[in-house]
Amino acid sequence: MAEHLTAKKLFLKVSICLGILLVVMLVCMFIGPKWSTDAQILYQIRLPRIILAAFVGAALACAGVTLQAILRNPLADPYILGISSGAALGVIIATICGISLSFWAGSTVSLFAFCGALLTVWLVWFIGHFASGSSAVTSLLLAGVVINAFFSAIIMFLISIARSHEVRATALWLMGNLKDMDIKILILSGSCILGGILILISIAAKLNVLTLGQAEAKALGVNTGRVRLIAFAVSAFITAVAVGLTGLIGFVGLIVPHGVRLVIGPDHRQLLPVSAFSGAAFLVISDTVARSAFAGSELPVGVITALVGGPFFLILLARYCRKVSWAK
Amino acid sequence: MSAIIEAENISFNYQNQNILKGLTFNVCAGEFLAIAGPNGAGKTTLLNLLCGLLKADTGKITIDSADINSYSSKSLAHKIAVVRQEFVPVFDFTVSEIVSMARTPYLSASGFESKQDLQAVAEAMEITDTAGFADRPLRNLSGGERQRVFIARAFAQQTPILLLDEPTSFLDFKHQVDIYDLLKNAQCQKNKTIISVTHDINLAIQYCEKTLLLGLNEQYYLDHTNKVLTQYKIQNVFNVKVFDGNIGGEKFFFPLGRFAKAAKNVNGLSRENTADNITS
Repeated sequence: MAEHLTAKKLFLKVSICLGILLVVMLVCMFIGPKWSTDAQILYQIRLPRIILAAFVGAALACAGVTLQAILRNPLADPYILGISSGAALGVIIATICGISLSFWAGSTVSLFAFCGALLTVWLVWFIGHFASGSSAVTSLLLAGVVINAFFSAIIMFLISIARSHEVRATALWLMGNLKDMDIKILILSGSCILGGILILISIAAKLNVLTLGQAEAKALGVNTGRVRLIAFAVSAFITAVAVGLTGLIGFVGLIVPHGVRLVIGPDHRQLLPVSAFSGAAFLVISDTVARSAFAGSELPVGVITALVGGPFFLILLARYCRKVSWAK
Repeated sequence: MSAIIEAENISFNYQNQNILKGLTFNVCAGEFLAIAGPNGAGKTTLLNLLCGLLKADTGKITIDSADINSYSSKSLAHKIAVVRQEFVPVFDFTVSEIVSMARTPYLSASGFESKQDLQAVAEAMEITDTAGFADRPLRNLSGGERQRVFIARAFAQQTPILLLDEPTSFLDFKHQVDIYDLLKNAQCQKNKTIISVTHDINLAIQYCEKTLLLGLNEQYYLDHTNKVLTQYKIQNVFNVKVFDGNIGGEKFFFPLGRFAKAAKNVNGLSRENTADNITS
């Protein structure tokens, strides 16, 4: 008889993943340009940064898992769908207009990022549905790709014509940056991301059914419209928070879900939590490499995620294909 | 017998084109109904109306004496299970994972299957003979095996009504018969009401008590299968010449085109002779 996922088994798996993540975070805390045990560096600089990386990694991975599920397309990810560039565009516009109000723990930058992300999601959704009725999965993805390219072009345009130093700084920040995080922002954004991930986990069983298609899901008693709306909104939200915090970090939302799926299978009830932990660990490690690989200069973490993620993904894919052909 | 599905004067338009118009019929509990008809007659549309995926423009569909629109997605899934043509899912779910999805409308807030759920799943896989490949991904199965998995899922949903959309269209003889035997067994053992959209008129004759024959010009016939599926009506509705034979007291029909080999030999013969020719 097949093995069935139970709450107990899931709890065990999640605990193991949490344990691994904590060990990774602890080890990474001591790694830097220099092996340091100075309490001030450890607790005030590295620890917040590592926690930030963990939250952002988890958010991007879960957004990737969810988007792949509702679009039934393994190529979907917050970047490819343009949600991230929408958020980034929001940030750039805020910077150019010179708006920099700040309130408790939040800043206009994250607010603009969120608005940009939501606007993009709405645009992708609208164009996707407008293009081909209700069976709009493919056109939704296509709309995302086009909007992504369009927004990226606008970002490039704005950066090229802008003279101000600040915009150029933002351009750098866009490449992915985990430096200097205020602890209040960290707490607020962290709880937003955590809450979002928990909502996604609560609809995990329905996401499973949705991957079979809308008609199938409906026949199995899932209110497809509502679940898709929740999934879309929440993944846009956590992506926006992540982009607002750290800029554009690619590859996490694409490779982490795939890697995890190859190991534990596609059941979202465990895929979502395990991807969250894996995404967190992946980004923590990538950031550690980014800040300590070259003494004196720091690499954008997006470079590391792509450099590490690309080959890693290819290896997984190759091994997987071989396994499949053997099984036959 | 009481009607479990009542459709009253339903019409459906798609892009200003009449697909169904003024269709009225009842399906009794425990009945095996075939829906046949040419391509474009609205068979699948009717199935989608009956499972709540589409809404009729006019008319009313009643499931178990309540309006279909009064059901939530979840409560309708307790009444009706749907099997569409088999497909390979995007993600690599295993057979047991797919069958377990049948329990989605029964899951508690925790999202995990209870003992009862697992039992329903195990039983459905036993009946459909899919337990042997429970741990294999659907991708690695043959078309016939995959179709059995989707039927197992429908059984595990434990609904009184089962709708199928061309369940045998890509299957070889043996698998076609296997599928219909499975369905007949479910009808007899569990008193399920089964509605199967099919192109295979001969299987419908062998297995279904009643047939709804949908024509292209808003004509339709619903009655006992042997009264609906006659040479005259089939030729009329499908607009093709068919020859009938007799097997075990039940008729069977065979379409013959102009250049078919047999068409030359049987063309001049009377209907009865044709039947004798084929049965002897």
